[in-house]
Amino acid sequence: MRLIDFLENEALESEKKFPQFVHPIEEVFARILDFYGIQWEYEPRTFPLRWDDEGNVLEAFTPDFYLPEQNLFVELTTLRPRLTTKKNRKLKRLKELYPDINIKLFKRRELRNMMLRFGLREEVERIIGTDAQEMDE
Amino acid sequence: MERDFWLDDVQEVLFTEEQIHERVKELARQISQDYQEKTPIIVGVLKGVMCFLPDLIRKMSIPVEVDFIAVSSYSTETRDKGVVRVVKDLDLPLMDRHVLFVEDVVDTGLTLHYLLRNLRARNPASLEVCTLLNKNPRRLINIPIRYVGFEVPDYFVVGYGLDYNERYRNLPYIGILKPSVLFGKD
Repeated sequence: MRLIDFLENEALESEKKFPQFVHPIEEVFARILDFYGIQWEYEPRTFPLRWDDEGNVLEAFTPDFYLPEQNLFVELTTLRPRLTTKKNRKLKRLKELYPDINIKLFKRRELRNMMLRFGLREEVERIIGTDAQEMDE
Repeated sequence: MERDFWLDDVQEVLFTEEQIHERVKELARQISQDYQEKTPIIVGVLKGVMCFLPDLIRKMSIPVEVDFIAVSSYSTETRDKGVVRVVKDLDLPLMDRHVLFVEDVVDTGLTLHYLLRNLRARNPASLEVCTLLNKNPRRLINIPIRYVGFEVPDYFVVGYGLDYNERYRNLPYIGILKPSVLFGKD
């Protein structure tokens, strides 16, 4: 293999590994998982939640991560608790429709505490500060 | 009465010195019973077990051997290096030995999972986990934990070996820090 091909391949692999994350917290989370050697997939599956009479999907939910070794979906939210009603409702519906799916919601405080444990105070302020509230989740 | 040096920073005491003392005694009794006729190697993860492990082994009624392991944790400095590094490895061989792995707190299970994989590769006769604090809400990796001191909700706790920015380890109790200490404001 030529060096240029190798480098292009590396770039492609890296791009595949680190997709365009919707929220910066997702990238931090992915890097933490990588650090500890945990396999992950980013938004690999969308679960339809509501359909119209013709069977068209009206509402769906795409968890942020799937950890195949743990068979666990993970959803992250940096929203303040009072703003998470919609997400909580979707998760409740997901569990009703897909009872065999293991999913864990990491709430704002849990993420904040996790990042503090890893000494990422600046990241906490940057990602879970007031500005983070403006992001559409 | 000595003044609690950190009193202004602690929002709430979750477990008092007496509660910890009693629970550690119970754990030590249970472990001593389970490991009768054996001489387990007690492996502690630095630095969080600096208070828990010495108290635990002093209350055990069986012979034990003790060793420590330390690993790098994720940080902005280590993120580009990509993997956990063993900063201080064990001195004792674990092959065919009964090993009790002692942690201060298990939350996501990421560090513990990594360490257990590492220790299993050394072929111990048995490998069990004892943690002072168990934070189930944050668990990502399901790991069977045989001995649990206390179940705790997801608060950022300090004291009795647990730190925030290397401080508060010497608190005799386990407490929750005020948000103003952690974030300036909340």
